[in-house]
Amino acid sequence: MSNLWFLYLFFAALLVFIGLYCLLTMRNLIRLFIAVEIISKGVSLAIVATGAVKNNILLAQSLAITYIVVEVALVAAALALIINIYKKNRSLDVRLLSKLKG
Amino acid sequence: MVFSFIVMPLLVAAFLPLIGKFSKKLLPDVLTNAALAFLVFNSILLVKPVFNQGFIVQNLHWLGEKVNLQVALDAFNLFMLFTISLVSLCISLFSIDYLEHYGHKSTFYALFLVMIAGMNGLVLVPDLFSVYLFLEVAAVASYALVAFGLGYDELEASFKYLMLSVVASAFALLSITVIFGMTGSLNFQAVAQGLQDLEARLVLGVCVAFFIMGFGLKAALVPFHAWLPDAHPSAPAPISAMLSGLLIKVSGIYALFRIVYSVIGITPALSRLLMALGTISMVVAALLALGQKDIKRMLAYSSISQVGYIVLGLALGTPLGIAGALFHLFNHAVAKGLLFLNSGSIQHITGTRNLEELGGLGKMVPVTAGTNLVGALSIAGVPPLAGFWSKLIIIMALVQAREFGYALVAILASILTLWYYLLIQRQAFFGRVAEKWLQVREAPFWMSAANVVLALVCVLAGIFFTPIFKTWISPAAEALARGIQQVLMWGL
Amino acid sequence: MVIQIILLCGLVIFSVLAILLKDLIKAALSLAVASLLLGIIFFRLAAPYAGVFEISVVAGLITVLFILTIALTKKGDEVTEARLVKLAFPVFLILFLVIDGLVMKSLLQKIPALPSGPETGTFGQVLWKQRTFDLVAQVGVILAGVLAVLALFRKKEEDRDE
Repeated sequence: MSNLWFLYLFFAALLVFIGLYCLLTMRNLIRLFIAVEIISKGVSLAIVATGAVKNNILLAQSLAITYIVVEVALVAAALALIINIYKKNRSLDVRLLSKLKG
Repeated sequence: MVFSFIVMPLLVAAFLPLIGKFSKKLLPDVLTNAALAFLVFNSILLVKPVFNQGFIVQNLHWLGEKVNLQVALDAFNLFMLFTISLVSLCISLFSIDYLEHYGHKSTFYALFLVMIAGMNGLVLVPDLFSVYLFLEVAAVASYALVAFGLGYDELEASFKYLMLSVVASAFALLSITVIFGMTGSLNFQAVAQGLQDLEARLVLGVCVAFFIMGFGLKAALVPFHAWLPDAHPSAPAPISAMLSGLLIKVSGIYALFRIVYSVIGITPALSRLLMALGTISMVVAALLALGQKDIKRMLAYSSISQVGYIVLGLALGTPLGIAGALFHLFNHAVAKGLLFLNSGSIQHITGTRNLEELGGLGKMVPVTAGTNLVGALSIAGVPPLAGFWSKLIIIMALVQAREFGYALVAILASILTLWYYLLIQRQAFFGRVAEKWLQVREAPFWMSAANVVLALVCVLAGIFFTPIFKTWISPAAEALARGIQQVLMWGL
Repeated sequence: MVIQIILLCGLVIFSVLAILLKDLIKAALSLAVASLLLGIIFFRLAAPYAGVFEISVVAGLITVLFILTIALTKKGDEVTEARLVKLAFPVFLILFLVIDGLVMKSLLQKIPALPSGPETGTFGQVLWKQRTFDLVAQVGVILAGVLAVLALFRKKEEDRDE
């Protein structure tokens, strides 16, 4: 089954690409975070599929579960940030977040 | 006990919000500082066994059953642990007075301790996935800490930081996944062994590229640096010190070089690439720092530039180069921590960070001005302060390896560094006292105390440079320079 | 195998919908559907526990959090994305599809598999005995998340007048 590895990673890379594209071009803060979620879907697909095709599914499964827990903590922190930003300037437009210039 | 570095901060952090219900200031202050002082003490106690045996691998047995709680400690990790504990202790001392006007001290300290636990864990674990996890622990805590002031700038900076940081760790984790697929294992030793037997240079190259992208973003190397000059200045001063002094070094530089050196094994091409990246960061960020009016922004750019030095030295790969880079890492952590704390003092004293408004403060606040001068001169590399020696060693190592071009650039960049640090000094502290600063008073006791301690470390590390370097930095550098042999030795 | 590929394609399609749909609630729901499909894929890859987690936590809990946030920030819908971004997306997607396909096939197919025996034990043993450290780190991450929410939703200057 090892030759299926590239197929799964192909799809995982596709998800990461979709997320990155959205992250780089879109403006709504919530949508940006949806993009982050899509990237992390790609990552967890890669983890589980790698375990499955390489006969390491038990290990990969526990990694995936840990990853999901991390994701939840991250989502909680990020959404709290988004709500706070919304309270401050009544908008979710990322273009308004340009007071600081890198 | 090596585990106390991870468990102790987590435990204290878990109880702090409860304690904060009935003691809002005193107990959180005492507990946090006591915990960190204990960690400093603990890391000093570990020096002897680690140096005698070369490394310590500990397994924890839990309820009579063997579970896989494994930490590995060699001279390199120990060096990082000591740096983390020392600098974070000073930062938490500073926070006692500084945090007064933010409120919710217990939450702040709890997040602070979780971040330290994350960094300590990242340094100690010999397992790729756990490295990612502890990276994320430190990162999630740091997002909240950057936004702790809840002002507009803080929230914006924190959101940008979060977005880039998530992408960074996703790339690192993808790379870890592919390595896991190729070797069937995550443990440093097994992976290092597996990769040696494997003929897959191309895929490995892609993995390394992902690692450089991920950890380079965390370390703010130049093409990936855009978030740092926003995030670090916006945070409260102690957190700026923490992020610039420690977090970028631990989650960026330590993670990258531990994996590249000890797990994958460095190749000449990779070494050239990292050296180029380091040099670009060094020069570009130094040039960008020149035009800044805000003290903290200037310091943030300076951090990127100094990280460039560290990466250049580490990537060079000779024992001398690595030793110089590690010493510079320590010096930069101490001095940049000091300078960021100092900028907090200045803001506390005057209410502004704009260099153009400041002036002549030196006469009014001698302690702040004096410590600031020490920190600035140490980073800029003026003898006999510690920063001079570390830069000298990096440049000597470059000359020794016949990399004259890089050596020249490093010298020029350090002149540039000196220039912009003198600019800060001149505009903030020297010259005539502006009318409105005639009433200012020195910063509160703990803020000044923390500054003085860090300044003393800068001076002492410069004066006792030879014994420190011989007994402490060189073994750490050797541990890293042994490459994958070091990990294979652990017998995990 | 065919079913698996259909599921994967569905996952990609719903992810694309999640970023292209104008209504944020619909976007969040299509993200949830994508999670659901991913959970089923996990299940079919012999990772039932990960599948359950994906469906209950990611498709359930995280979607609820998203919708809650969208409801709390009602005016957010008025942010319009640039048209060009959406129009250019298929072009980039197809470009990436081609590159991705070529690269993955040429890179990963040649990798020799290391000989490794089948895993022993049960999932519980692997999680609790091999990956114990991850559980400690999970505690840390959860603590960090909880504290982050506490810090971000605190009433400012609450304990000023102590």
